[in-house]
Amino acid sequence: MKKIFTAISFFIFLLPFLLQAQESVAEPLTKINVHNLGPQRLSNLPAVSVPADNPQSSLKIALGKKLYFDTRLSNDNTISCATCHDPANGWSDEGPTSLGIKQQRGGRRAPPVSNAAYFPLQFWDGRAPSLEEQAKGPIENPVEMGNTHTEMLKTVDNIPGYVDEFETVFGTRVVTVDLVAKAIAAFERTVITTDSPFDRFVRGERDVLTEQEKQGLEIFNGKGHCTACHWGGHFSDGRFHNIGAMPAPGQPADSGRFVITEVPSDMGAFKTPTVRDAALRAPYLHNGLEKTLEDVVELYNLGGRTDDPNLDPLIVPLGLSDAEKKALVAFMKRALTSLNPEVADVKPVPSSEFPR
Amino acid sequence: MKKYMLISPIVLFIILMLAQDCWAIPAFARKYGFNCNMCHTAYTKLNDFGQRYRDNGYQIPGQEGHEKNVLETAAPIAMRLTLGYSAYDNTEGNTNSFNLFGFDFFAAGVLHKNISFLLIYTPRVDEPGADYTGNDALQPGGLESVSLIFSNIIQDALNLRIGRFEPGYHVFSSKRSYYLFQPYEIYSFSSPRNDYNFDDNQIGIEASGHFRSGFKYAAGFINGNGAFADNNKNKDFYGNLIYTFGDGDGQSAGQRIGMFGYYGWQPTNVPGSVVAPTGETNGNQDENFYRYGFDGSFNWETFNLQLFYMNGIDDKAFNSLDQTQDYKYSGGFAELDYAALFNNRLVVSIMYNWIRPPSYDEGNYLNAYTALVRYYLGSWTAVNVGLHAEFAHRELGKTDKQKDNLIALALDFAF
Repeated sequence: MKKIFTAISFFIFLLPFLLQAQESVAEPLTKINVHNLGPQRLSNLPAVSVPADNPQSSLKIALGKKLYFDTRLSNDNTISCATCHDPANGWSDEGPTSLGIKQQRGGRRAPPVSNAAYFPLQFWDGRAPSLEEQAKGPIENPVEMGNTHTEMLKTVDNIPGYVDEFETVFGTRVVTVDLVAKAIAAFERTVITTDSPFDRFVRGERDVLTEQEKQGLEIFNGKGHCTACHWGGHFSDGRFHNIGAMPAPGQPADSGRFVITEVPSDMGAFKTPTVRDAALRAPYLHNGLEKTLEDVVELYNLGGRTDDPNLDPLIVPLGLSDAEKKALVAFMKRALTSLNPEVADVKPVPSSEFPR
Repeated sequence: MKKYMLISPIVLFIILMLAQDCWAIPAFARKYGFNCNMCHTAYTKLNDFGQRYRDNGYQIPGQEGHEKNVLETAAPIAMRLTLGYSAYDNTEGNTNSFNLFGFDFFAAGVLHKNISFLLIYTPRVDEPGADYTGNDALQPGGLESVSLIFSNIIQDALNLRIGRFEPGYHVFSSKRSYYLFQPYEIYSFSSPRNDYNFDDNQIGIEASGHFRSGFKYAAGFINGNGAFADNNKNKDFYGNLIYTFGDGDGQSAGQRIGMFGYYGWQPTNVPGSVVAPTGETNGNQDENFYRYGFDGSFNWETFNLQLFYMNGIDDKAFNSLDQTQDYKYSGGFAELDYAALFNNRLVVSIMYNWIRPPSYDEGNYLNAYTALVRYYLGSWTAVNVGLHAEFAHRELGKTDKQKDNLIALALDFAF
């Protein structure tokens, strides 16, 4: 009788797990956001997904590009999106952190716009759920563009050329923050780097990588543990990790994702950036403290530079040799640097071409 | 023996020359697209990342609930084959042969968030119907492991394994040891009449967990009878406690020390009456036995020193040599591994095993000295081919020593 009782108790204990398992009928993969899955194979980038309420059009993209480079969206006409997300700096800035209106230094570095469309959440702390929402933030950030949405809209409303373009694209002459954000986001969805030596290698051009770069790929996908977070076509899991980065000198520790979620394990965690085109945008990490890719590799090789109790469990010392570190850097430096002319050749829209 | 010593490096050299660069087709790690070194310092030994992955129920820490389950991945199966050539000599003579040393069929995966499974089937490699009378002749079924894992029941602090599994006191896994031929001798040693084998995977339930402080624990209730139906109504239980310090978990970085204890029962006479249709008996004159000991794993760069020491006490009823006293023994091993070359392609290791039985059983006094070299042809996505050379010298007996030597060359292939 005692054994029967034990067996029944055990079954009852298991029941919640079994019922949960029963509910978990797999959805078709195509319906699942890629970032809802675990690590994926390193690969070419898939097509960008476009939100249903903001379909792409060439006119919208052209409008968004002008807005992206237009400094008039800022309070004193000095800062545009491109000031910090500069194509010449790998769609980021010179760092270590971003310089905004009136030479104010922000606490974090501008995340790159290139391939940002693949992130499910925007900003280092993921506080924006879409590119559209992200585009609204810096306009009214006092240390970035220093404006208000109301003042920015007044500015745009007073530029007939913009109002005409908004009417053409959106069918209305009433310009709103949402429409400005949609146009900018539409442009940003075109800043996609799909053609790097790595991409060609994956497509079958086996000789496009040097031997050292192939070795670097091997380390990247194994001993270097890079693909634990930098996976898939985007080389990012889109999630948040505390990697044991040093805080900026004289600055309090940045709480990162914790500010948004208030989940203790998110303390000091930041979004995994893509490694694509990383060579174009030194320095690195959210605070720009790692000056080179070599420094970044060393950070990971050490298992983080701090004894942060909240260090992500994925971070462990790697024991990389000098040759392995060099191969890893070689892979990231050239093999992941894009060759897309449509992105590499993007030039700022000259002010003479801004709508008047 | 000199002849084999000469042949070994030549064969190894020829095979190395045949090795080519390759971006191989993924298999076992195809779920993630990782290559083997993500989880292994060098296949088969887990690194810190691999250990955390295993501890987390085959889910990447932080990815629970986001992992593809077994329905969303390609078939979650893998296999391992070891084959090659071995030469053996002792005072009686010598022999040599080609062998299939082993074959494992492996399946594992996530069924649902925090629920996963592991299955390892080890079919016998003798011909069907053969009159196989080797050491494993009584091994029924060859299900080395089949278990369900419920992870993160209380965050990291409580995970459960249920089924047949490798108990937590195997802090150094003989299943994932680099050594294919030299066992951890103390694992399978016991008094003359005690059938318990420390090295066996066991059937039962185990709770385990780890904490930010660096402490890890495992505790379980098991039959203590390997894969066989239980031979008594008493359950065995065990516990181990580990403390890790430094950066890492002591597998490939950081340091680890631990202690463990095992308390078990075995029949001292032929097993009693079968009282269950599944074969369990009620035991017959059950007596108890203990195992306890200490272990440590210490890392410096790519060196890893593993130390294991165990005491065993078996009730005098098990002691056919002297039934007036308990059978007490000790033993252990020290293993030094070194990973070298690009991506840990080369592994060199030396190991010393010792067993110290009671003075009246000095025939089982043992010293064993072993060395190996492993070279991996590539570190590919879920495919691994290791070239393995191992040399072992054993001395059994304290005064009247029986010496034997083994040299073996093998391909260790996992796909």
